[in-house]
Amino acid sequence: MDEFLVKLQKLKSGIFSRMKLLFLLDMIAIFSIFYSIFIIINMEYFLNKTTFYIPFPISFIPPVLALLFGAGIAFLLHRKDRKINLYILIEKKFSELKEKLRTAYDNRDESNIILDALKSEVSGGLDKVSSEQILTTGNLISRLVITIIFLSGTVIIAQNPDTRIPVQTIEDLGNTLTGNGNNDIQEEPGDPEEFGKAGGIETKPKIASIEGKNIDLTIFPGYEQGYELKDVSQTQNQFIKSAAFPVDILGSNVSDGGYSLLMKKTETEKQLINKYAVERSKI
Amino acid sequence: MSNETYTSSNRIFKELFDEIGKVIVGQREAVEQILIAIMCNSHALVESNPGLAKTLTISTVSKALDLKFSRIQCTPDLMPSDITGTYIIEDIGGKKQFRFEAGPVFANIVLADEINRASPKTQSAMLEAMQEKQVTVGNKTYPLDKPFFVLATQNPIEMEGTYPLPEAQLDRFLLKILMDYPTREDENEIVNRYTKNIIPSVDKVISKSEVLDLQKLTRDVPIAEDIKSRAINIVIATRAKNENIEYGASPRASIGIILAAKARALIKGRNYVSEEDIDAMAYPVLRHRVILTFESERKGMTTDQVVADILKSVK
Repeated sequence: MDEFLVKLQKLKSGIFSRMKLLFLLDMIAIFSIFYSIFIIINMEYFLNKTTFYIPFPISFIPPVLALLFGAGIAFLLHRKDRKINLYILIEKKFSELKEKLRTAYDNRDESNIILDALKSEVSGGLDKVSSEQILTTGNLISRLVITIIFLSGTVIIAQNPDTRIPVQTIEDLGNTLTGNGNNDIQEEPGDPEEFGKAGGIETKPKIASIEGKNIDLTIFPGYEQGYELKDVSQTQNQFIKSAAFPVDILGSNVSDGGYSLLMKKTETEKQLINKYAVERSKI
Repeated sequence: MSNETYTSSNRIFKELFDEIGKVIVGQREAVEQILIAIMCNSHALVESNPGLAKTLTISTVSKALDLKFSRIQCTPDLMPSDITGTYIIEDIGGKKQFRFEAGPVFANIVLADEINRASPKTQSAMLEAMQEKQVTVGNKTYPLDKPFFVLATQNPIEMEGTYPLPEAQLDRFLLKILMDYPTREDENEIVNRYTKNIIPSVDKVISKSEVLDLQKLTRDVPIAEDIKSRAINIVIATRAKNENIEYGASPRASIGIILAAKARALIKGRNYVSEEDIDAMAYPVLRHRVILTFESERKGMTTDQVVADILKSVK
């Protein structure tokens, strides 16, 4: 094997080792993020509430799930690592090897004076190249620091119960989001006898007593045309002013107390009051 | 092939250019392309206006390379035998015998001046010699000396009474070299050199065997796969649907670009073909192989412009 190929192989394995390390660090960082989220949202509590049969301790699920997420996302992020054209990468960093390295590599199985000279030139050029220069140590260290920060955050979250969102808040939020909240509240039907009396309005009765009859006030969802709110025309049920009608105060809905007081008046007084009411109605 | 030729190739080409430069002012690109065609063991077609030192350039190159040079001035009445040679009757010891008198094609470097003025029959004889590197007269075949290089010239003006070379025959020329008018400074230098009593002359730089060695070395110059792909893609792009191109280049153009790029790399002192070599050689290789549409020609478009567009678009 040509000398430059041996050096290239060594360089390749060095670069791939660094890439593997980067993959590992990314996986740990992503694991930390997901595990922290699972702790914060009390995943274990909710898993305990499920009715499914889980054959292993529930406390294992959040870290295992976080690890799976970490591995999956890190794999997606690094999926192109193996396909990286190392020769182009080296040529970009070391312009003196530009086009020479690929030419020597593509013609590695051939031999002639010119090619041998090129291979030896490339071999000399590769002496100056190291995997540290392609994937810098600085890059690795920064990635390591990020991972340590995330891991530390996870440890703090795991040891401090105050960081967790209260279960009730999550449940409420879940109910609001899923729209299950209204269905879950079981309202007691109001006392029909109390309807219409002072304070009775808070009872939100479903059955009202009108003229001695119990009327079901439940509004059922409609069907076909016109039952949907959107189908109701804005102008459909407008009030229309009716024509003036002679007022008969005695026949009108006067309160019980007012009615008995009116009945005690003389006929003249009654007529005068009625006339007054008629005149007032015309204003 | 001697290792020495390779190690000294940089010096050889530098000295060659310096020596030719003593006689030829400017025209560096044209001289370089002539040398490329010689290194590729192929032929070149030169198109230029009269008086641009075509004959002087090629004769200077032949002197510097220590090669036998001959010139054929093509005219409509030029016969194939005027090029290839013919049998003459000779009296040897009272006995009359046929003796083959070799024509001007039996040289290392042949300048076929104004090849488009020769009749198609004579052009064919010339092009056959170029292709086969041998001449058949009567029943006998005579191989031509190596290296064998033909530089044919065409005059872009005065096209009356000419027989333009058919596309199939143009394809046999590796390069079409354009020689342009010199710059003002160069013209000033030309006037200075050629208005004195001492006419500049050129010395031999390399031997015939070294030329042959360099021809072999040219084919050994390695090329990367992606660069080779680019050359092929360029040629294929000329055959793809293009509003400016009537007919594209043949696969011979792909061979031509890669071979010429190898020679250029060697001349430039590189031991590998660069993308720059491919791009530079695409013009002279495709110039006479790509046929433009009538509409493009009417607009005054040149093949070089079309090639430039292709180079931009091809990866």
